[in-house]
Order: sequence, then structure tokens, then C-alpha cells
Amino acid sequence: MKPIRRSLWSLALMLALTAGSLQAQDLASFEKRTTVRRLANGLTIIILERHEAPVFSYATVVNAGSAQEVAGITGLAHMFEHMAFKGSEHIGTTNYGAEKIALQKVEAAYQAYDRERRRRVGRDEARVKELEKSWRDAMAAADKYVIPNEFSKIVDAAGGTGLNAGTRSDTTEYFFNMPSNQLELWAYLESERFYDPVFREFYKERDVVQEERRMRTESNPVGRLILQFLSTAFMAHPYGQPTIGWSSDLQSFSATDAMHFFRKYYVPANTVIAIVGDVNPSEAMPIIEKYFGRLPKEPLPDTLRTVEPPQNAEREVILHETSQPVYIEGYHRPAATDPDNPIYDTIEMLMSAGRTSRLYRSLVRDQKLAAAAGGFNGFPGDKYPNLFVVYGFTTPGHAATDLIAPIHAEIERLKTQDVTPEELQSVKTRVKAGLLRQLDSNAGLARQLAETQTLYGDWRELFREVDKIDAVTPADIRRVANETFQEDNRTIGFIESEKKPAGGAK
Amino acid sequence: MKTLTAIAIVLTMWSPASAGAAPAKAASHIPTSVDEIKAPPLRRINMPEPKRVQLDNGMVILMMEDHELPLIRGAASIHGGARDAAAAKAGLIEILGSAWRTGGTESKTGDELDDFLEARAARVETGGDDDSTAVRIDVLKNDFDTVFPIFLDLLRNPAFRQDKIDLAKTQMNATIARRNDDPGEILDRELNKLGYGPSSPYAAQPEYATVASITRDDLLAFHKRFVHPNNIVFAIGGDFDSAMMERKLRDAFASWPRGPQAPAAPTAMTPAKPGVYFIAKSDVTQANIGFVEPGIQRNNHDYFAVRVMNEIFSGGSFSGRLMNDLRTKRGLTYGVDGGIGAGWDHPGLFEITMATKSGTTLESIDAVRKQVGMLRTQPFTAAELKQAKESILNRFIFTMDSRQKMLNQAAILEFYGFPPDYFRNYTSNIEKVAAADLVRVARKYVAPGDLAVLVVGNEKDFEKPLSTLGTVTPVDITIPELNAAPSTQAAPAASNSEGTALLQKVTEFTGGKAKIDAVRAVREVTSVSRDTPQGVMDMEVESTVEFPDRHRAVMKMPMGEVTVVMTPDAGFMLLPGMGTRELPSSQRDAARTESKQDLLTILKHPEKYTFAVTGTEKIGSVDTKILEVSSDGDTVKFFVDPASGKVLRKVSRARGPMAQGDQVTDFSAWGTFGGITVPTAFTTSAGGKQVASGKLTAMEINPVLDPKIWEKPAG
Repeated sequence: MKPIRRSLWSLALMLALTAGSLQAQDLASFEKRTTVRRLANGLTIIILERHEAPVFSYATVVNAGSAQEVAGITGLAHMFEHMAFKGSEHIGTTNYGAEKIALQKVEAAYQAYDRERRRRVGRDEARVKELEKSWRDAMAAADKYVIPNEFSKIVDAAGGTGLNAGTRSDTTEYFFNMPSNQLELWAYLESERFYDPVFREFYKERDVVQEERRMRTESNPVGRLILQFLSTAFMAHPYGQPTIGWSSDLQSFSATDAMHFFRKYYVPANTVIAIVGDVNPSEAMPIIEKYFGRLPKEPLPDTLRTVEPPQNAEREVILHETSQPVYIEGYHRPAATDPDNPIYDTIEMLMSAGRTSRLYRSLVRDQKLAAAAGGFNGFPGDKYPNLFVVYGFTTPGHAATDLIAPIHAEIERLKTQDVTPEELQSVKTRVKAGLLRQLDSNAGLARQLAETQTLYGDWRELFREVDKIDAVTPADIRRVANETFQEDNRTIGFIESEKKPAGGAK
Repeated sequence: MKTLTAIAIVLTMWSPASAGAAPAKAASHIPTSVDEIKAPPLRRINMPEPKRVQLDNGMVILMMEDHELPLIRGAASIHGGARDAAAAKAGLIEILGSAWRTGGTESKTGDELDDFLEARAARVETGGDDDSTAVRIDVLKNDFDTVFPIFLDLLRNPAFRQDKIDLAKTQMNATIARRNDDPGEILDRELNKLGYGPSSPYAAQPEYATVASITRDDLLAFHKRFVHPNNIVFAIGGDFDSAMMERKLRDAFASWPRGPQAPAAPTAMTPAKPGVYFIAKSDVTQANIGFVEPGIQRNNHDYFAVRVMNEIFSGGSFSGRLMNDLRTKRGLTYGVDGGIGAGWDHPGLFEITMATKSGTTLESIDAVRKQVGMLRTQPFTAAELKQAKESILNRFIFTMDSRQKMLNQAAILEFYGFPPDYFRNYTSNIEKVAAADLVRVARKYVAPGDLAVLVVGNEKDFEKPLSTLGTVTPVDITIPELNAAPSTQAAPAASNSEGTALLQKVTEFTGGKAKIDAVRAVREVTSVSRDTPQGVMDMEVESTVEFPDRHRAVMKMPMGEVTVVMTPDAGFMLLPGMGTRELPSSQRDAARTESKQDLLTILKHPEKYTFAVTGTEKIGSVDTKILEVSSDGDTVKFFVDPASGKVLRKVSRARGPMAQGDQVTDFSAWGTFGGITVPTAFTTSAGGKQVASGKLTAMEINPVLDPKIWEKPAG
């Protein structure tokens, strides 16, 4: 939602971060401090008490993302996320009664304009212009009632920090941090945005989202590569669609489309809210019940039907760019709920965690072919069968294809040789410590609890995953590597530089 | 979620039975305005201050107990950073920050540290910044006593091993090569250069040439110049007893002698002239736009008023003037950010950055300029002042909501010499800011006419030419090639008579033209000792050459046999137990160049090369002549005894991923096989260090070759 400027390098770093493998540090002590409650309307609330300081963080995770989109409305999950900052009938308006009528006029004018401009045959250009003008005039009329950014101004003035949201393939997440005396204000604001969201300024915000697309995807070579790579790796499943959406859809979909999406997927039973910090459940639950209990109970939306068919031929995309080479390859793997998930996590650690990792030692340290290289699970999501991805950024003077043989050599090693007990133990130790190091962040815990509850139906899976990784054996790794890392199951994507890569290390 | 009711870890007043009860009572009133919600007073926070100890040698230690998790984390912050390195060595701090840790200590290599630390999930890391370097430790408390000695050793006795300096340089070169790939990154970097001026130590930019010039001695000298106890603030927090920790730290640091003090921060700036600057980038659909002029220093008494003005201008989540106008009202951008920067010990920059579609570039520039102008012309309303102050004050709790943050803040104040109560007085200083202060600081620090505007984008898609804004100064961001300058000392393009004559001598010594021409293939066996970071590795190499361009080497190594085959249309490797691997193209190129520079290959096809004598050099007691042999821009030097025609030394540009500088091979002990005389012993060194030596044990001229040896095995 908020602008975050990412350089290529920080993207590489982000890719290198492990998705959050966690451990059973002290599940019992966490259970004692954790309250889980399901409201009558189906909304799940998790409260984890941490009274270090008078603050709390929360995360609302809606179990719907861009994977719920179909042709014509790609990008809509993300678009709604932006609209969730625009206020309600009570927030962001000087006169909702009048504004409501004005917004209905905007919508009618847009539908008329959009229908005419998209006519394949017999389009009347003068009429298009006229309709566009009516639409723009209607927007200007509606804008008169808007108090811009009132929702965020209230959060800011109350001392809220980190107000933001994110849309992924699997989920849409909303979060910020608050001083703990503002719990009621928070409950009001957070319930209000999902109780009666008002889609004011929708079409201007659609322009903002298109700027986001230009920044992340169109004007960034890695963004362009990932778009091509994912749409090649997935033929049927919506994981192949860009979360940001296709340009044509972003230029066409309407506030009415967004409202339909909201009504279908933003139901309490499809939502988890986790709160971590200086919150006393006995005081907080009545407040939460009061505000969130008013969200109407609705049936869960249908689950996704499409399953990606088995891949039976290697696929490849090559981008000819003036930028430096980048290499990426992906292998289909099962969803995170598969019993082999801990084995995939272990493979990810072996391949990319730290300076002892195999890809670092081979490609970066010894062969100096790559400035950075790694592998990770869960791309682009992990609710459905997804990709295990390996990537590398070349050093000067090397083509992206120079990375193929050494990457495949490391993959072959996984398939043919047992990992040593020392190497495996080092990974397991770091998985445990990795969990421990995340336990002092309210914001991080809130997101992890809510995401884990959404994905597995049980937040405690966060801790159990560590025990499962602890049980992984060398034979498990060879088996999963052999099942997964097959040529026919592979998609390769890379950037080939048009200009000869600049040489500094000849 | 369906399993949730089964879990029902419901404590406190909810019994499991009440889960799934009726929704909230209809009676409960839901406010229609936020004003109806009254927040209770915030619970008082009870965060202790860290304990401060100053040793006699000047080192300051800050300790903060934090028993929530069994972890100990510490950082030694050291004065002296990138701004203290010579401009010709730009990149030194990045190389140092990396090789300090990876290059290991005198007693342990960096690779050994990696294994040791990662097995314990411990981290000891080094890094460098504009004004400082740092060594950090992050360890499970039970491992503290085993890991802390490594931290100490690394802090005081880094080895900066050459192989890891070379690795850091390779990675630095990759960063340089990639620095023009992302338009936002270009904007940030070039805006900084415009703001501080091209010669400012805060704008020094690493180039291939500056990186190439950095030596191990430079790193050692930097370490020696700055890493002294009196330049260090060491902050440590976690699950320990302070009294016990203090004893350990005194034991570790008290006997460390003082050294020279780090110099004061440079503060001079030479900002670019106001005006419009442009960088052309064709592969984008957006223009990245920046505005810059000098900012202020943190110790400026106007800092707090500037802080409040920044909040009104661009603070909060979306509520600042810039976002409100350019994003919310106009839909021009996903994000616009800006404000007057304040450096802790040197001036920051007043910067504004944004990105917009190419077709609204000038519209956006105009809109931002208006917003900057309005800081001086549009009154700051009471509502704006209230919103800004409340936001800053109410969120202040988040700067002190953990012991780690309290410790970090105390360390910053200590490091930059600010009073320890600076943050305690922060909120009262913000509260004092009045509307009149905002007007005053806007007049004083906002100079719309002084702004430099920088645009990175695709001008043909702009709605109007940039020149409609006035004179446009293009900024060239081409990355200078390393060999642009040194290539002038490359070999002469043509043979000289002395060169051709010396070639004749070498041909005769080797066996004469007729015998050389009769060689179609050679098979030789050499026993080679290679110096690797893991020690000396012995191997036997059987090498087969079918002229002109088929090569095969079989290396018998402790782990098994490795075969490398290069032909005009293939290049592959056979590895023990791993099957066939394609050779990376870089390795193929390196191998091809190497075989092109093989003496016998040259002697068989002299028409493909140029030969020139370019100097003399004494090797042992022999005054050799330097014969430079060139082809397609590649040059190799042979040091020839002019009396006999013996080649005593060969110097070539090292190739391949491990390459560094020139590779020098010395020959001795000549033997004759099938009429061809060749040296049977050699030693090779690179960067002054021996990397390999070997003896030729057998050589067969025109052996019978099975054509299958050039084919890639199936599967």
C-alpha cells in the first residue's frame, strides 16, 4: 500500500530471506499467553500477551488474494486493499448521504463510458469523449464530500505507526502498531473499514495502482523477468497471474467489481486477526466483540477449483535487456500443508542459508560466478502447490547461462549424496535459533500468528514446524530432491544482456 | 480454522461454552465519530537506562540486561568510515566491511569461522558506513563464552586474507555493473551527488578502477588508523548479569592501549547549481524525479521545528501535504517522499523523490515545486500543527518500547557526543514548537530557487520537452571500464623485425619448422601441485591436444578423476559420480585463450600472431628479451634467452573466476621428445604467490587418438 522503493539488491536479499521456518522454542509458554476466540460470525481472534511496553501490533489476514481473481479482474484483490484506506460512512466524508448519491452517479457514468470505449465494432469516438467527460465531472462532484486520508490521519494522530497492508497471491493483510491505550479506537477503525467500506476516489486510486505497476514491474528488469517467469511456470493455476494485475484489467475494472470481490471474500469466517502486545484479553475481548461482532455472518466462499496439471516439458523464458544478467529457475512442489513441507524447508536452508550454504560456497565463494545466489520455497504463495525457486545474480563478465551448470551440479548433489550429519545439524540449530530471534517483535509475531492460523488452521504450527524439521533425515532430502528436481518439472527464466556485460574482474 | 473450536485455548473469563455464543448485544452503541472514543491515559513505561562504563583507555561500554530471551547481542561502533577513505580508493569501506569478517583472523580463516559460528547459530559480522565501521555479535547466551573470543579476535586482529579481498572486489564489481539497472536506485545515488557535490566525501562513488587499486595494505592501514578503544562505543544487551558482564568486558578491553583519535566529520558541501538535470533511460515507463538542496545538522537548535515542518510536509502514513496532493488528489504517483534531512555530525540533504508515468513528468515537477513554494507562502494551519505534533508525540512510545531500542539510542547519543537526556527531552522540545517557529524555519531552510531537479526517464514519452523548464544539463552515468586507460600499454599492433628474428630462434630451439609442422597431436603427463586455500593439492594431469583446437585433460585427484574436454563445438566436464556438466562460457573462453597462447600452437601457426620485442629483463644470470605475442587483442609475453632461444618465463593475463592480475610461469629442465624440445619443470605464481608447480613425466608426439575421446558421453 505504501511506497517502498526496492533496489535490485534489496530484492535479491528479500528473495534470500527464508519464509519463516520456526521452532518449538517454548510452545507451552506461548500457549499460556495466547487466547484464541472465534466470534459467532466466524471471525477468529488471537491475542498473544506481551507486556514489555504499553504498545501492541495487530495483523488482519483475509484468506483471499490474487489467486481468487479470474480473467478481466486481475489486480482487484490488491485494488480493494488500497480502498480499505479510504474510510467508511463515518470516516472520510463531510456528508455521506449526499456523497452516496454522487458516488452512484460516478459508477453509472463510468459503466456507460467503459461500455462505449470498449465496443469492438461501431465505436463512436465523440460519444466516448462525451461519456468520459460526464464521468470525470461526476467524480469531481463526488470529491467535494471527501476528507482526504482521514482514516490514516486518525491513526497517525493516535500514535499509530507502520500503517500498511499487502496483497499476495494467497492472502491480503492489514497491519499497524498502536499505543495500548488506543485499543478501542483501533477496534473501531479496523472493524469500520470492513463493515461499510466506501469506495470513494476509486478511479484516482486505480491510477495510483497503475503507477505502482509501472514502478515494480514495468520499469524494473527483475520485475519484468518475474512476470514472464511465473506466467510461464503456471499454465492453469492463477499463481501465474501477476498480483499487481494485467494493465488492461487495471484500466477497466470498476468500483462495482471491487465491491463484488469484497462481498464474496471479505467474510468474517474467512478472516483471522492476531493482536500481540500489552493487551489483556479479559478487557480486550468485550471491546473486540462489540466492534467486530457487528460484521454480518456469511458463508465461506467456494474454494479454488483449478489445479495446476503436472508439467511434462521443460519451459524457458529469455528476456533481452540492457540490464545485467539474472537467472531464475523453478520446480513445482506441493502446498505448504503437504507432509514433505519441512523437508523442502530443510533443502532451502541447505542451499541458501548463510555462508556455509551450498549455493554460496559454490557459486559465490569458489567459482565467483554469482554475486548472490540462493533458493527458496513458496513462490509465489504456499497455500496451493507452488514453486521451489533457485536464482543467481552474475558477477561481471558472466552470462546468466553460466550459472546453469553449477546450480544443477548442486541440485545433483542433493539427489545423489547424503547430507553430512554436521551440515544437517547446523541447519536444524539455526532453524531453532531463527524462531527464537523472531519472538521479540510484536509486529512480526502478529503477522506470523495470523498467517499460520489462516494457512494451517492452527497458529501452533508455527512452533511444530521446527520439530518437524528436526526430524528430517538425509534420506528424506534425497527422496524429495529426486521427486522434485527433474528437468520436465523445471521452468527457467533469465535476462540476457544486450550489451556485453561490463567487465571489471577480467 | 475449522479446528479452532477444538483447540479452544481460551483463558480468562471465557469458558469454552461461551465460544460461539450470540453476537454482540444490540444494545452496545457503536460510535459514529472517533471523537466519541476516549482513550485512557497510557500506562507509564518503565524502561531502565543502560549502564555506562568508561574504561581508562577511553572506550565506552553500555550494558542493558534483557532477560526475555536467552540471547546476547552487542555492537562495537568505531569512528571512521567511507568519508575518511581517499577518493581514489572509493569502495574501500565496502571491501573492508566484507573482508574483515570473511578474511578471518590470524588464527582462523573466515571459512572456518563460518562453519564454527553457523553450527551454533551465532553471528559475528562486520560492516562499514559513511562515518563508521562496526563489529557485531549475536549469540545464544550459552555460547557467549565460546563466541566472544572470536568477536574480540576479529575486532583486533583481522587477517584480511587476499582470497576474500578478491571475493569482495568481485562482488563490488557486480554492484557497480548493476548500478544503472533500476531507475529508483539511479535517482537516489545521483541526487546525493548533486546535493553534496561530486568531490564530497559523502558522494564518493566506487568504480572498477578505484576498487582494483585497493590492496590488503590499505585495509590493514585503515584498521590500524581507526580501531582503537578511544574510538569505540560498545553496546551490549541481553540475558546476562551486568556485574559479571562488566568484569568480562574489563578483562577483554582494559589493557588495550589508546590510539590516535579519529578526525572530525567533514562538513563542507559544494551542491550542484540550481536547474534541471537529466539522465536518459529508455527501458522504463515512469520518470523518477528528485529535488535536492542542502539540509541541516542534528545539533541545529531549529531541529525540532524542522522536524514538525517535515511532518506536515511529508510525514505520517499518507497525511502529509505531498502525498495528499500528488497521490491522493491527483493520482500522479504511488509514492512521494521528502523533507529536510538532518545528519548526526554533518549536514543532511533536503530531498524529495517520486516516480510518475512518463506522460505526467512535467506536471509532477510543477506540482512538487508548488508544494515546496507553499511551505513559505501557505500558512501552517492550527489543525496541521496539532496533527503533526500529536503524531510525533503519540508515536514516541515506539522509540522506547524495547530494551534493545533503549540501548541502541543511548549508543547513538554516546557515539555522536549528544547529551544522554536528548531523547528524554525530545517530547518537550516538540511540544514547544509554535506556528511562528515553522514560518521562521521555512524561510531559513527552504529555498525553492536553490533546488536542483533531476529526472531519470524516457524523454520521448514526456508530455513536453524538459527544455520547457529551462536549460537542461545531461548527466552521464556510463560506467567507466577498467581497462579504458591501461589498454594504451597494450602490445604493439604489428610485428617488429627484432620480434620475428627472436621467434626464429625459439622455433629452432624447439626443433625447427619442419618438425614442428609435423606435430599433429601431443599427449603429455604432468604431475602438478596446486596451492589452494585448503592446502597443497597434488594431481596427475594427462593432457591431449589435437591441433589446432581440440583439448582434453584428465586430472587424477584425491576425490576421483575429472575430465575436461574442449572442442570447437563443445566444452564439458566429467565429474566423479556426478556425470557430465557443461563448462560455463566464461571457463570456455578462458580455456580457449590459454590454448591460443600455448607455445607450440603459436609456433605451428605464426601467421595468426604478431611478434615484437618490447624490452629486456634479467632472469637469474640471463639477460632475456621480452617477446610479446598478440592475437585478437590478447597478449602473452615470453622471456627468451636470445643466445639459445629458450623460453625461461611466460607472463599472461590470468583467466577465469579465480583470476587476479598477471600469471607468471618459470620454466626449467628441458627435454626432447620425438624431436621436439620442451621444458619439463615449471612453477606458476600469481600476485607474487606461488599457485602451482609441476613436472612433465611423459610426452608422446602424434599418439594414436580414439575419436570418441572428444565426444560427450550420453546421459
